[in-house]
Parts: sequence; structure tokens; C-alpha cells
Amino acid sequence: MSAVPLRRQALPWIVVAAVALADLLLVLRNPADADRLLINVILALSAFATLHLRLLSLANAGFMAIGAYTSAILSVKLGLPVALSIPAAVLACGAVAMVIGLPVLKLKDVYLAIATLGFGEIVRVLIILLPGLTGGPTGANLSTGFPYAAMRATSTWVIAAALLFIAYLFWSLGPSKTGRAFRAIRENPQAAATMGINITGYKSLAFLLSALIAGLGGAFFAHSVGSLDNGDFNFTRAVNILGYAVLGGSGAWFGPILGAGLLTALPILIRDSLGASIGFLHNFAQLPNILTGASLMLVIIFMPGGLASTFALGAGAGAGARAGAGAGPDAGAENRSGAGASRAAVRGSPAGRGGDRRDVPEADEIPPPDTVSEGLADCCLLALDGVSRSFGGVEALSDVSLEIREGGVYGLIGPNGAGKTTLMNLVTGLFPPTSGRILWRGREIQAKAPHRIARLGISRTYQNIQLFSEMSTLENVTAGHHIHIGTSPFSSWMRLPRERREEASAQREATAILERLGMEELAARPAGTLSYGDQRRVEIARALALHPRLLLLDEPAAGMNETETERLGLFIGELKRHGYTILVVEHHMDLVMSVCDEIVVLNFGRKIAQGAPSVVSRDEAVLEAYLGRE
Amino acid sequence: MALLEVEGLELRYGAVEAIRGISFRVEEGEIVSIIGANGAGKSSTLLALSGIVRPSAGSIRFGGADITFRRPDRIVRSGLVQVPEGRAILGPLTVHENLELGAWTRRGDPGVAADLERIYSLFPSIAERRRQLAGTLSGGEQQMLAIGRALMASPRLLLLDEPSMGLAPLVVAAIFRIIESVNRSGTTMLVVEQNARQALRISTRTIVLSHGRVQLEGPSRDLARDPVVVEAFLGKA
Repeated sequence: MSAVPLRRQALPWIVVAAVALADLLLVLRNPADADRLLINVILALSAFATLHLRLLSLANAGFMAIGAYTSAILSVKLGLPVALSIPAAVLACGAVAMVIGLPVLKLKDVYLAIATLGFGEIVRVLIILLPGLTGGPTGANLSTGFPYAAMRATSTWVIAAALLFIAYLFWSLGPSKTGRAFRAIRENPQAAATMGINITGYKSLAFLLSALIAGLGGAFFAHSVGSLDNGDFNFTRAVNILGYAVLGGSGAWFGPILGAGLLTALPILIRDSLGASIGFLHNFAQLPNILTGASLMLVIIFMPGGLASTFALGAGAGAGARAGAGAGPDAGAENRSGAGASRAAVRGSPAGRGGDRRDVPEADEIPPPDTVSEGLADCCLLALDGVSRSFGGVEALSDVSLEIREGGVYGLIGPNGAGKTTLMNLVTGLFPPTSGRILWRGREIQAKAPHRIARLGISRTYQNIQLFSEMSTLENVTAGHHIHIGTSPFSSWMRLPRERREEASAQREATAILERLGMEELAARPAGTLSYGDQRRVEIARALALHPRLLLLDEPAAGMNETETERLGLFIGELKRHGYTILVVEHHMDLVMSVCDEIVVLNFGRKIAQGAPSVVSRDEAVLEAYLGRE
Repeated sequence: MALLEVEGLELRYGAVEAIRGISFRVEEGEIVSIIGANGAGKSSTLLALSGIVRPSAGSIRFGGADITFRRPDRIVRSGLVQVPEGRAILGPLTVHENLELGAWTRRGDPGVAADLERIYSLFPSIAERRRQLAGTLSGGEQQMLAIGRALMASPRLLLLDEPSMGLAPLVVAAIFRIIESVNRSGTTMLVVEQNARQALRISTRTIVLSHGRVQLEGPSRDLARDPVVVEAFLGKA
């Protein structure tokens, strides 16, 4: 396990040293370039804020322009001190971001890119159309009432301090609830939503952060350069800013710093060193752009995760190292030579060893479901009332009604394609029913967003595994605990005592659940590297971390052998004794028949049978459609 | 000489050792099954055989030739074809197109048309749907399509990664019947399965993997009564 090649361990530090050296040479050669370097890094971090969530926003140049012109106008024309005009400019960007964020963030991928690019162009055209305010197309300089001396009003040290502050903001978010939510959305928005993470909220927060930082970078730009021109904020600028973050890598906050550091210094250094010997290059104004393009292509081909990906796991490694204090042994622990297949198979449920059901677990081993309702014991928890759902004319579910009572274990069976997963997707709000009602304790929930449904206490696993595969196993489970962690970005930034307390208890909780499933030795492994069956168990652990009042398991035993399936059955039985309500879709009939109180059978989207296992297993229609006759 | 000879195979993902030196053979005409707990290295072994992941040590000989570092497409061309875990059919293409793509390595071979008809007669439920998009098939039909697509490459050795996963009981039985009948028509098979009971029933020999090593190996009939196998895989039922 120590055989990781030395070369691979040294690579990240070689990258850092190379970037630092290039930047040092740049600043030694011309100290004035220090401002440009720092501002580019700030802009790169603004791109990181959105790109980290895989939001392809090109609005940064627009926000940079708003920041630059607002601060210039406030300070030069209205005589505000720069110490006030810069914060005011940043706030202006925030206000604009809140207005355009809501409609724009509904878009995805390339549509978001085009819309934000349009925003940037609108800002630039407005600058041209308002010459009285901005200097118009000729730019803001001495002749248009922006005297250079008044504009030049910032020091490198202030910019450096601001950059450190921004880096601190991102660094401190890393191991927090917010950082985890960001990474979860980056990896799998759908799974994040069904864990109760408000996708729209966090995307808006990221967009706002990005706008504020770009505005700050723009304001510094105005006061460092001393003159402004709308051409400073054009399409090329937008692409360059994005390029810093892509080259550096959007997985970890230090990636864009490396990217901007390299892409600012390298073109200038190369031009200067080559310029002396090869005359024509000195006048080759496009060289920086060519180099930017070429290095982007090389990095994307050979290092899709950017420069930061040389640090093994990127954000996962950085956050994991700090968050994993109580996380148990690292991946290497798996290497202790195993005691054989039987030991590995037991992983499903230590207490279930040898099928000893009397080995009742301690009450604190499994988190109890949230507040078991009182006086409602006889009322049903979840009810489907005539629910149908069609996809392009094909009815996947037609007129299904069923009731789930608190504390029961329900099985949902039927042939492949009968509508079982569709039913789970409807209950968890991934899409609404075409008709019919879904009632949670008597209230209609069919129109609610997935994260709101999760907050009611419904959590699930997926038939086609939906883990956050680059995050560690422990982080996946902790993300499942999201709705119970009472911290915010501010408590992370301010390092409030509550932050440490809540984080520690969330980690403890997640670790305890992993231990309960016999998976503690996998805690530090990226979830995507686990075997299929182990990934299923991590999904169950993640769903349990939400303390669900209703747990939906979609084929939890797929990819498990019979012994492992049996352990899973015992574990489900244990959950039932702890008061959990469970709906399980499964093809392993032994499991379904042994754990379920009641079974619902679907065929071609319709309910064809419902009842106790002993009744359903003898039902003619069920034998015909699904079980077969022995 | 055995059709497939694996010697001292090792495989790692970063710092994680998935396979730690396994050796086994598959003779012409056999069905060999590989069983083992989750994370034992079963799927990794198949991926290494198909050239999709590179082993860190060891050798793989197929039909007498060393294929350890051969490209995946060349491995398929030499007659070693895999039916991937989770079926991996091409959903937006029709059933017929999926099958045609299975014969990619045999472009221009006049035998392809006859093989298509042979596949359709082997899987009548798929034949009815040859113009349908593969993504609209049920799970069991998708598994049949995945097997049919692999057969279109006219394999000498077929690798199957968990063919019964996520399928209804009726369909599981059908899939294992198909595996047996394909084998009877002359295709050697290496099957990774979680359904150990069925795997032991249909295979001639079984390999038990544990923590990346071969824990047990032998005739399936004997292993089905082995206490270690019974305890670990067959449960009390």
C-alpha cells in the first residue's frame, strides 16, 4: 500500500513550485504585474464558485464590468473614498446577481452559458450607450473625466489581503455542510435533492458569491489600471476567466489559483524571453491567447480534472483530511489480509451472524426515525390515491392506490417495467403524477420539490446507484444527514463553536451508521471505487442518515449473494423493530417474503394484488405474471 | 492446452489492490462460474480479461496467445467477448441495430445475416421487437439483447458479469436456461454471479474469490456441498 509511485506523490508539489516560480519571475521582472496577477486569481475564484457546482456561467466579465464602473463612477465622479466605493460596487453586483440569478439558473449547461454570455454583452453595450456616465465607447480615462491619478487608488497589499480573505471563505467552506452540499450537487443533483439539499438555493448562493467576487475583482481592476474600456470586459475576458478555473480544476478551491497563476505569468515570460532572440514574436500580440488555448487543450486532454487533480482527490482529499478526524482507518486498512469470504460476507450485519435473531442491537446503534407520531398510530403515513403517470403516451403507472401505515414493512414486487421505480420517483417528487394524489399524513405532497419531500422524512436508495462517487464513503453518509445539521456558511466562516459541535456530531452519526453496516473500514474510500454491492450499502447508510420516517429501498439486494441478502433481511428486520416504516422493491423473494408485513404487486402499471406474503404468494394472477409455478 | 490461462494476475486502482495474484484456467466447452463476496475482485477480473483495465502484474493467455496488454477491440476480434454488468445496451438504438453493432468486428462477413436469424430464433421475445428502441425493453429482454449482441461477435469465450442482476424470478430462470443452451451450442462461458445457487447448478467448475485471491476452486458439484461455500453464499435456506 506504500507502493504509490514517488513520482505521483511529488507531482502536485512540482506543479505548485512551477506556478510559484513563474509568478515570482513575473513580479520580479515588473512589480506592477503583481496587481494583474492577484486580480486574475480573484476572477478565477469567481469562476470557481459557479463551475464547482458544474454551472457553466460566463457572467463573470459582466459582473467585473459592473464592479469596475460602479466603483470608478462612485469614487471619481461622486468623490466617495475608494474604501467605500469598492464595497458599494460589490454590493451592486450582488443586487444584479439576485435579479438575474433566479431566471438564469433555471437553465442548464450550454443554455446557461449562452444566457450569461448575453448578460455580459448587455452590460458592455450599456457601457457604450451611456457615455456621460461611463466614458462611452472611448473608455473612461483622463479625457472623459476619469483622471488617471484619481483612479489609481489601490495598493497591491490590499488586493492580496482581499484575495486571502476570499481563499479563506472557500477553504473554510470545504469541510462544512455548505461545502458538502456544493460537492453533492456537483456530483449528482438528483440524489442531492432527495437528500433534502435545496439545489436552487445553493446554486443561487454560488452564483451570488461568484458575482460578488467578480465585482470585487473588477473594482480592483479599475483602480489598479487607472483607466477603463468596454473592451476590457468582452467575450475574450469571459472565456479567459473561465479558462483559469478549467485549467486549474474546479474540484478544489486552490485549482483556479494555480490556473490563473500559470496563465497570467507564462505568456508574458515566454514573450519576453523569446522576444529577444526571435524578433517577430515580440510583436506577436496574440501569443498569450494562443498559449492560453494550447495549454487548455493539453490540460483537458491529459488532465481532465485540471492542475488541482494532481492532488489525488481534489476537494475530497482536502476536505476529507480535515473532516475525517474520527473517520477511521484509511483505504489501506482494507489490505489487512482478510479472514476469507465468510468474513467479508458478514459485512452485511455483524449482529446477524449465524442468523441469531436474539442478538437484539443496542438502542443507540441505529438512529431512531424522527419523532414517531403519537395518536396517529392507526392513520396511514403515506397514501396514494388513484395515481397515474404516463411518459409520452405510455402509461407507466395507472390508477394505483395504496396506504402505508407507520411501522410497517411493505414490499413492492412485479416484473421488470411494471412501474415500481416510477412509483418511488413519484413519491420522492422527482416528477409529479399525471393524475391522482399523494398524501403524507393526510396532506397532499404531489406538487412538492424533492428536497421538501426529503425534509418531511422520506428518503430512498436507487436501483441504478446514485452515489456522490468522488466523495468519500463517510462524506456520502454525512451528506445524507444534511437536513439535521444546523449550520450555515456564516457559522463556517466565523468558526462558531456550533460549527465544530454540529460537524463533529454529524461525523459521529455517519461513522456509527457505517459501523452498524460493517463498513467503517471503507469510510475514507471514494464511494465510486467500492464494489457494486458495497455501493448499495452506502446508499442505505446515506438514506438512514436522514432519519427517515419512511425509507424507500429500490432493489437493495441487487448485486448481493444469498448470504449477504439474508443479512440485509435481518438488518431490515432490525430497522422495523426500531420503528422504521419501509417500502422495499426487490426481486429476491426470500427477502421480500421474510421481512414484509404486506406486499403490493404491480403488473403493467396496475396493482394486481395486495396482501400478506402468504396470500400474495399463492395468488393466481401473481404466479402468472411474476413468480412462476415451480 | 486450455482456452484461457490466467497466471498471477494482479490489479490495483490507485492505492486499492482489487486483485492480488490469481491464476485459473478455462477449458474449451466449459461453463466456469466465479462467485465471491462484494469487493472480492470478480468484476475486476473480467474487466482485466477484456482489456478494459490494465493489470499491474501477471499474464492472460487466450487460445495460446498472450493478450495481457492487447487493446479491448483486438481482444473481441480474437474471440473473447464480454456481456457487461448492468447490461449496457445502447438504449437510443433499435434492437436490430444493437445486434448489428455486436458484429462490428465482423464487417463484411457473409455469416452475419445468418447469425442474426440464429439470435432471433434463440430469443423469440426480442425478434418480435427488432424495430423497437432497445431502451424500451424490459430488464429481462435487455439482458437477452446484451447476450445476443455479444454472441454476434461469434465468441469462443463469453464472459458474463452478473447476468441475473435486478431481474424478476421468472426471468432469472429463463436467463440461466439461455446460458446453458448457448453453452450446449459450443460457446465456452465464464460467468460472474451473485446468485451462487444457480451459478453452482449450471457450471462445470467454480472459482471462489475472496479479497482478490482464489479461495477455493473445484467442480461445482463438490463446492455446492463445501461448508465454507454453504455458509458464505448459500445461506440457511
